[in-house]
Amino acid sequence: MTLEQLSSYVIAQSATVAEGWYYIMTGLMVAIHVGFLMYEVGASRMQNAVSSGVKNLLAFAFMIPTFWLFGWYIYLAFPHGLVPMDMEGYGVPWNVSMGPMLSDQLTGVFWAAFTLFACTTASVFSGAVIERIRISSFVFLAVLLGSVCWNLGASWGWHFDGWLVTKFGYHDVAAAGVVHMIAGWFAFGVILNLGPRVGRYNDDGSMNELEGHDLRFSFVGLLMIIVGFFGFLGACLIWPGLPALDMQEVTTWTQIYGAPATLSSFAYNTLMGLAGGMIGAFWMSKGNPFWMMSGGLAGIFSCASGLDIWYPGLAFVLGTVGGIIIIPANDLLHKIFKVDDPVGAVAVHGVAGIWGVLAMGIFASGYPGASDAIPAVSFYGQFVGCITMFAVGFIPGYGVSFVMKMMGWLRVPDHVQQAGIDKAELGLRATNY
Amino acid sequence: MSIFNSWPGATSSYEGVDAYFTSADSEGTLIFWTLVSIAILIFTTWSAAKHESETDKNTK
Repeated sequence: MTLEQLSSYVIAQSATVAEGWYYIMTGLMVAIHVGFLMYEVGASRMQNAVSSGVKNLLAFAFMIPTFWLFGWYIYLAFPHGLVPMDMEGYGVPWNVSMGPMLSDQLTGVFWAAFTLFACTTASVFSGAVIERIRISSFVFLAVLLGSVCWNLGASWGWHFDGWLVTKFGYHDVAAAGVVHMIAGWFAFGVILNLGPRVGRYNDDGSMNELEGHDLRFSFVGLLMIIVGFFGFLGACLIWPGLPALDMQEVTTWTQIYGAPATLSSFAYNTLMGLAGGMIGAFWMSKGNPFWMMSGGLAGIFSCASGLDIWYPGLAFVLGTVGGIIIIPANDLLHKIFKVDDPVGAVAVHGVAGIWGVLAMGIFASGYPGASDAIPAVSFYGQFVGCITMFAVGFIPGYGVSFVMKMMGWLRVPDHVQQAGIDKAELGLRATNY
Repeated sequence: MSIFNSWPGATSSYEGVDAYFTSADSEGTLIFWTLVSIAILIFTTWSAAKHESETDKNTK
């Protein structure tokens, strides 16, 4: 084999294996949606279980074409703020870049992985609104969140050239703020306008538990979400030496900002955060298995911002704190705002996301940026990122759902809820036993 | 590089090809399919909302 042949072989192998990595991670992320579907179906009462599942399926189906139409473009074009960069047509759906190119093996699989990230944000929102949101309204809001809002946040804080990164050193490698905060607080904005399920609150303000019809679905669903998150987190890393990012000198993985990272750091800290979250929530809830599993997710999100650099023992502690705080946070949100969040999505994603972003500023302040263009990590930078992610989620969630509420296009009428959405709208029932 | 599989017409060669999908050399056609995709999404959402409103009336 000549040197030219060897060089050609290595380049071809590198590009193809990188392509294969993101392809497989995309497939693995589908498990997140299987998990959310099972979780929400199980947490719904029998009379609304099918419609809860239909909502999850539609979020998936609508997110894919809308992310192709404008979601990917928004991520690429807005790293500097609200004015798009001139990309000479790249990323718009009628440009050849948004179809298969022999000179570019990676755009398609990157787009696919980001599409599944977007689907994840929609699924986070989905759990908070079960049993009383109109399916058409949900689809519209899910597209707004997954193909517009989240993309802006990601462009600003999850992009090597994003203004939060280059001006403030914002560090959020596995998207505690960019995905979980935005989705959680978007959901909060919507449920303020959507109102609680019929029967959730009594006239005196006291709250009733509306138990889901099958806790087993919820258990398996939550575990499936965790399986899928290994795909999500794996796709957060950049394949070693991708020429497109001019990182030929780097011999290992890099995180999304371009600094060296390893799959091992992700494996250590994901698992330690997961375990910490489960144990923390187990203790705080006095053994409630629903909270224990949700705590596991919160534990992962608590470590997500610094998944590339945490010491595993610290990741365990961060996860434990995350698993503990989500339970009083959930109680507090219900008590103060009289909202109805049947799966605790705002606490698990929104509150644990805040903790994850701020923990980076508390425990990793001074950690260097990936290049001279990126300042070191600071509490101030993480705090600015936190406010920004909250605003990118909450403001459009609240504002748009308020307009939809005024139009009468948000909530399933109370008499349809009482009749059961499955029977009234779909003519179906979840089980025959 | 040239564009593969112009519209309408069959593939003639892989030689010098970069974009290899249907209608890649016709931006107008790509815009047309994009608009059809958008129309499908809007129609489906509108149709679902209409069904929900009818269910509301029929359930009273």
